Amino acid sequence: MATVQVSEAEKVYILHGIRDDLRVDGRGCEDYRHMEIETDVVSNTDGSAKVTLGHTAVLVGVKAEIGKPRPTVPAEGYLEFFVDCSANATPEFEGRGGEELGTKLSNTLYKVFNNKRSIDLKSLCICAGEHCWVLYVDVLLLQCDGNLYDAISVAIKAALFNTKIPKVHISSDEEGGKEIELSDDPYDCMRLNVENVPCIVTLCKVGHRHVVDATLQEKACSVASLIISVTHKGTITCMRKVGGGSLDPESIFEMTEAGKRVGKALHAPLMKLLEQEESLGKKRQKVGFLG
Amino acid sequence: MLKSKTFVKKTRSGGVMKVVREHYLRDDIWCGSEVCTECKQESTVLQKDACMESSLCSYPHYLVPDTNVVLHQIDILEDPVICNVIILQTVLQEVRHRSAPVYKRLKDIIHEKEKRFYTFTNEHHRDTFIEREPGESANDRNDRAIRVAVKWYSQHLKTFESDTDGLKVVLLTNDQGNKQKAQDNGLLVYKCEEYVKSLIANPELVDRLALSSDDKNEITSSKVLFPEHLPLSRIQTGIKSSSFLQGTFRASRDNYLEATVFVQGEGEDSTEVLIQGLQNLNRAVHQDVVAVQLLPRSEWVAPSSVVLQDEGTAKDDEDAEEEEGKVTAVEAARKPTGKVVGIIKRNWRPFCGMLNVSQIKESTRHLFTPADRRIPRIRIETRQASTLSGQRIMVAIDGWPKDSRYPNGHFVRSLGGAGEKDTEEEVLLLEHDVPHQAFSQAVLSFLPKMPWAITPEDMMKREDLRPLTVCSVDPPGCTDIDDALHCRELENGNLEVGVHIADVSHFIRPGNALDKEAANRGTTVYLCGKRIDMVPELLSSNLCSLRSNVDRLAFSCIWEINHKAEILKTRFTKSVINSKASLTYAEAQMRIDDTNKNDDITKSLRGLNKLAKILKRQRIEKGALTLSSLEVRFHMDSETHDPIDLQTKELMETNSMVEEFMLLANISVAQKIYDEFSECALLRKHPAPPPSNYDILIKAAKSKVKIHTDSAKALADSLDAAKVDGFPYFNTLLRILATRCMMQAVYFCSGMDSDFHHYGLASPIYTHFTSPIRRYADIIVHRLLAVAIGADTTYPDLMDKHKQSALCNNLNYRHKMSQYAQRASVAFHTQLFFKSRGILNEEGFVLFVRKNAIIVLIPKFGLEGTVFFDSKDKVSPNIVFEEEIPGVSVPAPDTERPAKKQKLDH
Repeated sequence: MATVQVSEAEKVYILHGIRDDLRVDGRGCEDYRHMEIETDVVSNTDGSAKVTLGHTAVLVGVKAEIGKPRPTVPAEGYLEFFVDCSANATPEFEGRGGEELGTKLSNTLYKVFNNKRSIDLKSLCICAGEHCWVLYVDVLLLQCDGNLYDAISVAIKAALFNTKIPKVHISSDEEGGKEIELSDDPYDCMRLNVENVPCIVTLCKVGHRHVVDATLQEKACSVASLIISVTHKGTITCMRKVGGGSLDPESIFEMTEAGKRVGKALHAPLMKLLEQEESLGKKRQKVGFLG
Repeated sequence: MLKSKTFVKKTRSGGVMKVVREHYLRDDIWCGSEVCTECKQESTVLQKDACMESSLCSYPHYLVPDTNVVLHQIDILEDPVICNVIILQTVLQEVRHRSAPVYKRLKDIIHEKEKRFYTFTNEHHRDTFIEREPGESANDRNDRAIRVAVKWYSQHLKTFESDTDGLKVVLLTNDQGNKQKAQDNGLLVYKCEEYVKSLIANPELVDRLALSSDDKNEITSSKVLFPEHLPLSRIQTGIKSSSFLQGTFRASRDNYLEATVFVQGEGEDSTEVLIQGLQNLNRAVHQDVVAVQLLPRSEWVAPSSVVLQDEGTAKDDEDAEEEEGKVTAVEAARKPTGKVVGIIKRNWRPFCGMLNVSQIKESTRHLFTPADRRIPRIRIETRQASTLSGQRIMVAIDGWPKDSRYPNGHFVRSLGGAGEKDTEEEVLLLEHDVPHQAFSQAVLSFLPKMPWAITPEDMMKREDLRPLTVCSVDPPGCTDIDDALHCRELENGNLEVGVHIADVSHFIRPGNALDKEAANRGTTVYLCGKRIDMVPELLSSNLCSLRSNVDRLAFSCIWEINHKAEILKTRFTKSVINSKASLTYAEAQMRIDDTNKNDDITKSLRGLNKLAKILKRQRIEKGALTLSSLEVRFHMDSETHDPIDLQTKELMETNSMVEEFMLLANISVAQKIYDEFSECALLRKHPAPPPSNYDILIKAAKSKVKIHTDSAKALADSLDAAKVDGFPYFNTLLRILATRCMMQAVYFCSGMDSDFHHYGLASPIYTHFTSPIRRYADIIVHRLLAVAIGADTTYPDLMDKHKQSALCNNLNYRHKMSQYAQRASVAFHTQLFFKSRGILNEEGFVLFVRKNAIIVLIPKFGLEGTVFFDSKDKVSPNIVFEEEIPGVSVPAPDTERPAKKQKLDH
């Protein structure tokens, strides 16, 4: 992960600020930075979204392809994740530098998103045991300025919301041979229900308190953080502790409670925003990458 | 301005792919009209006073046809009357997807300046591009795009109304929904039929209207005659699961209720599926690609031995079919039988033929009988039946509904009066797909400039063989002399023999228009009294023709041969020759026979003749076949070009002399180019026929002699031995039959095949080298040989075996078609000859026996015809047909032998 060097004096300054609920950039402890979302930014994907959170920028593309269902769950489709840590994001990713982080991120994303409570995987099934939709979720880190998980999860949710899967029909002849037929109308497509898709809230323990959406400097002052995925109802679906320091149970409890609160509050405006953007349809002015 | 077009498509592996294309819109696409001052166009296509006299549109107007109008009414659009038409890009693209031939015709019209067809790229025009809307099908979107473009045009032209007399744009569509919507948008729109009927000045155009689906409903009879064709998707899955077979439909010439479907298997093996009965044929037309389903083995039948010609409406079809069903075949003779379940690709072309005028006087619906017997009759609608009867006309098929006994079609054009020579020649050239239009200016531009002379550079590179006593021997009246010979004694006592072939490849350089045209034509076609050249006349009859006493470029093959006709040395060279004499076969023969003559030419001829005899003997010992086919020559009246006499071709020693050396040259060259280019040598092979091919020959000869067909040698020997006393023609008859058992000799590329054997000539390798003026294969062989001896440079296509293989396919096709055309021409001239002769009595021989007819050959005229036992006005004699022999016995002894009668029904 991208790191910055922070001097002792700076650390003390940050720590004291957080103790008084006043962070370096003026936010409170449970406030996010300014967030921008745009969907349908990559035309050759089935769904895509670009999210910037402070200076962190991620791009998520969803490609739907027809594959074979997993033998254990023949009537469900599945998701695959790949995180590409582009060297654009930080020079540390150059060469194979970003690989380890990429794998770590994609494993976490797989755990958080690929389950039937998050997404209706049954709706991805085309023909039980034979064909299903596989959603390849590709995450591209464009810039790292802390709090990757939260930004990625919001982008994934937005991209899944934006995903349009072409409608297919299974036709079978008398011999039992099955043929997949594609709808002729490009507008005739299936949308995913993203209501239950969780968002990830990362809480960093800084001093005796914890902050949401830590910047790189704050991160440097933190010893441990908790990654919590929260649904719109405030249910926690997944939790993970990262970092070298220890957390006592009491503060874990406090942090989960805070995570639930923040997560729940994050979903409603996100969905509102996405629906508002969708309703604009073709009239929407596209911003893209140069905007 | 950039837009992106997005669509999803299925990949071959069954996946789904989303494709995104960038689509640029521009604002510099001009309207192409003369009246427009706004568009900055350099030249205009559409005229200011676009006048077509229509009772519907009295003002000048431009036409905009929609896709279906173009697809179905291309014949109308091709008419010179129709001009000032705007073809939208949407339409052009749709046509391209739906039908390649129509697309090509449309492109041709657009290129024709006088037609004034303008292509408007509406899909890239900023104001006329539209995006597909949710719930809109691709077709609806295209229709809307057409309407938007028409709307744009009418508004665009309106701005110049002051200086035009109300120029308007008229949309032509046959789609009711589209028409309604266009009217709602305030556009001028007519159905194609309405519009064409309104062209007061040109009523004959109405006949060329294709019957649209609306019209077809009128003909509906309650009876559904044919089973429904399966949709393409079903056919494809069926073929994948091998419950259906895909193949080319080939109708039988003799029986309209029978056809075979030729199914190409993997590699060499292919099967033929027999189809019998109207129901099973299910509206397939000759050469269509169809899907067939095999019937259960118990329903398999043998090919029927009845000759059936579709006599028309009156005859009850059910009877004929029942008759078919009753054919009880011998088990062994049964063949895989199937039925057509769907059409994969129609291969309809315009057909030549005659109109059968309907019995009902007022009727506008008539039946059309194509010249090709394998094509069913076509029902067409015309008001000019009385003028068209007695003319050869062209008709195109529009469709074949399942409740119609005959396909529906429309009149395309008239070729001229039936029986007139020019018309008939046109018919047979069209029917045999012989390219016969005059050479284009582009082709002619590659001809050498006249006066032409051999340049010193040419002389430098070539061997000067002008001092040699070279002469040519050809049939009388031959102007394209492509071979000449010489023979002289060397100091060491051996003979030097040279074959000099016109150096056509010097004039036809690879890849230019002249070369492409020649490659497409493939061969010169010789009709009676007419020659359709492969290369322009300047080359064929002048610069390349090895005429006497002029210097000509040649490609020479020179051997040193001893007196036992053994080849000691072979050498190839580009040369310059000066032929001393152009002789006919007869003249050459006279010189050889005339003991008083002892000049150089005669000596040379005698030497050649002697060697040729030895060569021929050697060849026959190796098992080369001497086959026979009847060739007839006509003596033409020099003024009317009508045949005045006819004789079968006579063979002289000198014919065979020239032939032997040509064979020798071909074999030597074949060996050389194969040694040099084992992957891309163009060779000619003649595969051994499968043993079953000989059945008709063995059966025919069985009563008199036994024919062995184990090898070419055995066949040749037993043919030589097959003689019957008092029946001298018997041997020739057998040889004619043997010829029909043979396979076609074909060109092929050595890298694509392993079997090179030439069965008929008993040669392990063979090619064509000696007639480059009239065969394109020889030109390629010349080029290969020139590269091999370092006399010329190579080019990529020459060394590409796939390209060469494709070329071979074309050459084989053209070659076959030219032979058919030649035969058809002879047949036609035979009929012309008999037109004035009345009834003649000649000796004839029965070639084949069918259940209800015999096929008779009259050697004197080289004429073959079918004689039916039961004709319309006569009761058929009581005939017993025996399948095994096959033979017919007539119980009543006093019945006249039908073979004596000849009937001219071709």
